[in-house]
Amino acid sequence: MISVENLHVVFNPGTAIENHALRGVSLTIPTGAFVTVIGSNGAGKSTLLGALSGEAAPTQGRIRIEDQEVTFQPVHKRAKLAARVFQDPLAGTCATLSIEENMALALKRGGRRGFGKAVREERRALFRERLKPLGLGLENRLGDRIGLLSGGQRQAVSLVMATLAPSRILLLDEHTAALDPRMAKFVLELTRDVVAQYGLTTLMVTHSMADALAHGSRTIMLHQGRIALDVADPERQSMTIGDLLEMFSKVRGEEIRDDKLLLS
Amino acid sequence: MTFFNLINAYAFWGAIELGLIFGLVGLGVFLTFRALDFPDLTVDGGFPLGAGVAAVLILGGWNPWLACLAALGAGALAGLATGVLAIRFGVLHILASILTMIALFSINIRVMGAPNLSLLGQETIVTPFAQMGLSGLYARPLAVGLVVLLVTGLLTLLFVSDFGLALRATGVNARMLRAQGADSRAYTYFGLALSNGLVALAGALFAQTSGFADVTSGAGTIVFGLAAVVLGETFFRSGRIWVVLTACVLGSIIYRLALAVAMQNLGSVGLQASDLNLITALIVAAALIAPKIRAEMRQRAARKGAAS
Repeated sequence: MISVENLHVVFNPGTAIENHALRGVSLTIPTGAFVTVIGSNGAGKSTLLGALSGEAAPTQGRIRIEDQEVTFQPVHKRAKLAARVFQDPLAGTCATLSIEENMALALKRGGRRGFGKAVREERRALFRERLKPLGLGLENRLGDRIGLLSGGQRQAVSLVMATLAPSRILLLDEHTAALDPRMAKFVLELTRDVVAQYGLTTLMVTHSMADALAHGSRTIMLHQGRIALDVADPERQSMTIGDLLEMFSKVRGEEIRDDKLLLS
Repeated sequence: MTFFNLINAYAFWGAIELGLIFGLVGLGVFLTFRALDFPDLTVDGGFPLGAGVAAVLILGGWNPWLACLAALGAGALAGLATGVLAIRFGVLHILASILTMIALFSINIRVMGAPNLSLLGQETIVTPFAQMGLSGLYARPLAVGLVVLLVTGLLTLLFVSDFGLALRATGVNARMLRAQGADSRAYTYFGLALSNGLVALAGALFAQTSGFADVTSGAGTIVFGLAAVVLGETFFRSGRIWVVLTACVLGSIIYRLALAVAMQNLGSVGLQASDLNLITALIVAAALIAPKIRAEMRQRAARKGAAS
């Protein structure tokens, strides 16, 4: 479960470039729910995810993950509770390490890292077993440097890595935005499978209204640091992008003017 | 003409010995420069620190092996000092290490009580090998070689462990490391301590094989370490960590052999001994910029291919 109460995040407070990115966001995501988050540039989508993961420090409010108060916990401490996949495929993996070494790093997420050998035969078997369903042939390339893989392949491995260590929460920060359409579709389908298989509580930030409506069971729209819309199934099931826009202009009294949001 | 026409046995074994000692420096510099992405000049003070600590303790009657361990510990503390400045207080990395380095100059003189100490006639780690009837010419590289072998082996085991993988990811992708639940700052502290411990150990070996400890012996340590790392990478490309580590040591030996050959044949090509620093700088600079030039050439070729 994720619970956010009256969350404010201000970047560079007291300076000329002060940016009030989140202005009182409250949100409860029950265990096992898959929530998609949309919003135009600067709406606060990534900041919300950053606050949940610990990269953006709140100036007000509180955050609880799985009944633990994490509001001011550093990133590495709360990593045990929530796995993440970044927008940039390069960000989620270590380019100079091999596929199996990256997976071994992820296997120990939130755990103690001892001096025992990281890539053992039984772990290798596990990595192979988890990579095989991707259908990318990566299970035969365990020793290859992960820097040699394409962005989409790295994102797919990142998703698998997110499920290696036990945690119930998955944070996805526009994780298909940097991929070509075919690979983006593949990674989105993989996301759906992984979330279903492990019953993960998931927050997926996306730039695409179509993707937001097509995945999960609830969609939240952020606007200027606040939650503008919050729709859930079954109401959401029959909604189109047009319906969403209409609802938005009714609630906010204004129209959305972000081509990227509308077109993608 | 063969290689051995260019170099006599004394110069050859001397180069092996120095190459092995500075191979430890290479391993330390690999750790900071490559794994942590932390340009660390502390080593220029850490090398004579290790030499001074070992010399004082040996003169005080300590077992030379224990003196080596103490030197390693002293170096680790120096590395931690740099870490505190850089990580806890956010001082620019390279500047933090320079501050520790110049502080160490004064500390080293305090430790030794003098700018230099002689170890001639003292029992060192070389003594048991010399007592086996080996000439110093071979006993010294043998003693040093055993230490380097042990250190390289232990480092390999460290680097393939769960802990070591996190250490290797620290400088490459600290954000990812934190997202995987590892405190990147803690790994940076550890890496700095280990790196400077190794460099101080090299200083301790240097004092014992050369028979003296001198506060000025650290000048250029970082460059010798870098030369070892980049030459190793140039000659031995591999993703296997034991090869990468061994390459640091071999790179250092190659560098020392090249220097020894140059020293013996300087006159014939119109160079003098004082030109060696310039040559070293050119070698390291060339090895550092080569990957960038290669990448640019590849890009240009690709652009040409796309245009046609």
